[in-house]
Amino acid sequence: MTHPEEPLDTSGTQISRRNLLKGVAAGAGVLAAPALLAACGDDDEAATTTAAAASGGDTEAPMASGTVSVGSNASDPLTKDAYAAMFARFEEKNPDVTLAINTVDHNTFQEQINTYLQGRPDDAFTWFAGYRMQFFADKGLSTSINDVWDTIGANYASSFKQASTGLDGNQYFVPFITYPWALFYRKSFFADNGYTIPTTIDELKTLSEGMMADGFVPIAFGDKDGWPAMGTFDYLNMRVNGYQYHVDLMAHREKWNDDRTKQVFATWAELLPYHQPGALGRTWQDAAQTVANKEAGMYLLGMFVGEQFQEVSQEARDDLDFFAFPEINPDHGQDSVDAPIDGFMISKAPENIDGAKELLKFIGTGEAQKFYTDANSNWLATANDADTSGYDALQNKGAELIASASNIAQFLDRDTRPDFASTVVLPSIQTFLNNPEDINGLTDSMEEQAVAIFTE
Amino acid sequence: MTAAPDTQGKTATPQVMDKWRRRGLQAFLAITAFVWLVPLLWAFYTSLRPFSDTAERGYVSIGGTYNFDNYTQAWTDSEMLKFFINTMWITIPAVILILFFASMAAFALSRFSFRFNLLLLMIFTAGNLLPQQVIITPLYRMFLALPLPEFLSPSGVFYDSYFGIITIHVAFQMGFATFVLSNYMKALPGDLNEAAFVDGASVWRQYWNIILPLTRPPLAALAVLMFTWIYNDFFWALVLMVTGDQRPITSALQNLNGTFFTNNNLVAAGSLLAAIPTLVVFAVLQRQFVAGLTLGSTKG
Repeated sequence: MTHPEEPLDTSGTQISRRNLLKGVAAGAGVLAAPALLAACGDDDEAATTTAAAASGGDTEAPMASGTVSVGSNASDPLTKDAYAAMFARFEEKNPDVTLAINTVDHNTFQEQINTYLQGRPDDAFTWFAGYRMQFFADKGLSTSINDVWDTIGANYASSFKQASTGLDGNQYFVPFITYPWALFYRKSFFADNGYTIPTTIDELKTLSEGMMADGFVPIAFGDKDGWPAMGTFDYLNMRVNGYQYHVDLMAHREKWNDDRTKQVFATWAELLPYHQPGALGRTWQDAAQTVANKEAGMYLLGMFVGEQFQEVSQEARDDLDFFAFPEINPDHGQDSVDAPIDGFMISKAPENIDGAKELLKFIGTGEAQKFYTDANSNWLATANDADTSGYDALQNKGAELIASASNIAQFLDRDTRPDFASTVVLPSIQTFLNNPEDINGLTDSMEEQAVAIFTE
Repeated sequence: MTAAPDTQGKTATPQVMDKWRRRGLQAFLAITAFVWLVPLLWAFYTSLRPFSDTAERGYVSIGGTYNFDNYTQAWTDSEMLKFFINTMWITIPAVILILFFASMAAFALSRFSFRFNLLLLMIFTAGNLLPQQVIITPLYRMFLALPLPEFLSPSGVFYDSYFGIITIHVAFQMGFATFVLSNYMKALPGDLNEAAFVDGASVWRQYWNIILPLTRPPLAALAVLMFTWIYNDFFWALVLMVTGDQRPITSALQNLNGTFFTNNNLVAAGSLLAAIPTLVVFAVLQRQFVAGLTLGSTKG
């Protein structure tokens, strides 16, 4: 998932797990510790190569057997049960293999990933596609799984394979589940007030004016945790400048103080009057609730917003719908989607590499993914052969959106260096939201910091 | 500071003035206590309501359903009992070992005079000043390299074992405990040792049978403090443990959160449940706790 390289947020006074954690982190420098440790990983590269080479010899007869340990971040009861059912199915199909599941709560798993991978990691583990995966693959903390892709490759769209490929051209990741970002709204709210779905930015502005005239907040907005607004940046950049420019900017092959980047912020500034004010003090859950309560019209967020609606009532969840972010530049239309992928990887020196690869092959099937998408209807399967008969209306629409997209981005904090996303982009966007006037100063400062971080 | 009005102070008799002062002070204390309790009371109030109610009406609202469902759900969903037992595996041995080692160190440092006596005490105290996080990288490497027999650590090394976590807690809390205990022991009359020595008591006997029983109040106070600190710790387990099933109670709360969605009402219930053991320990040993706060403040 996307959010979390949780930044130090000192504004939180509300009692929630994240804030609690952040409080501890701010006081104790917990976040700094894994970062320090990141520097220590280089000496382990040899191990990867050896492990990979050793496994290469075995591939002729990969009769998987024995115990495979799996590190899982699926800690809440709903997901944990779905994973358990899926793993049980795998054991049923591979009677010689036993899985030892090590479930660590989601947030801790993420924060300790560095020490975990350098210490005594499990054979296979849950992680995220894109730069998040490449970062650890590049450090030699993961085993390449090209032979797994020989088996499952035909079952994936090329964009998924691309998202699973490391900087060295090898595959390190098997996609499991995904979800799209889009503008979510309540169908009944639009119908009752006679609003229509906008497909261009001008229509979006007209719609927003209309909502304001009716006394509603057009676009709900909350950025207390810092990451939700990154989604808005992603979409504006992909719509204004196109996917390629976005990717290049994320990799810092383009400049942050480029006129094209400035255009993104300028467009955002035009839209800000339609956004809910005071976003920096509001969590995404509170913002989503204003849409559920029909105080606000729409909300740009990931499909996980459905969980909030589900908790409010089934009726609210059934009423939830979305539309793709409108077109800004006709050259790019609506051709790109933000759709982060969660999946599995293999650690650098697994004890049971054949078993782990066998498990990853299973993860790459619609059969395995159905266990998850049935349990949590706010996520989508990634494999081509996924059985979508259990999908609800929202899931079907989400799958269509992703299938129709020419380009899939992974969300800003997964598409660029995590340290850059959390220490530069996140606070910069918050600064921008506070003061949308000074785009030149802001982008110059971002570029300066980007140079410092990317040339390290 | 008190709320007694000036006019009264001028005309009233001393007794009346005292009475008003006292009332003012009590009012002040009551208000302060209430202000301190507001977040806790609010968390409790929220924990009694289902998420759908607070989502629709907001957290500052009255009405809807009130029940203990969040508590039962938090208890089962987070597997709190399992993690609570894990925490006890760490906390209880650690507290016992800290008190045992610290009292021995304090005994030697306070009851005997030798050349490096003061220097040693300073080193113990200085260890306290070191922020724990600064040593995490070398410690992490050491824990991965230091072997342990299988029965102490399934992983075969200090890393990812209760033994490792207990060790680091003992190492870090020793300084403070030694400091407090040695100050207390210094205050005990030196004649005790001399008399015991004349009667032929060995050093061990002087420590175990003479000094240690007299040190009960600070030991109890320290036990409460250490219990609370180690119970609340979250940092060491975050970096030095990888097995999810062995994590301490602080991680049970995190199991209540979904990937994105957080039911704050449920978390409030879970947090209050997790806080109960420290409250119980405090209530049981309250008197020692208060006495312990001022221990050592007059000496040293």
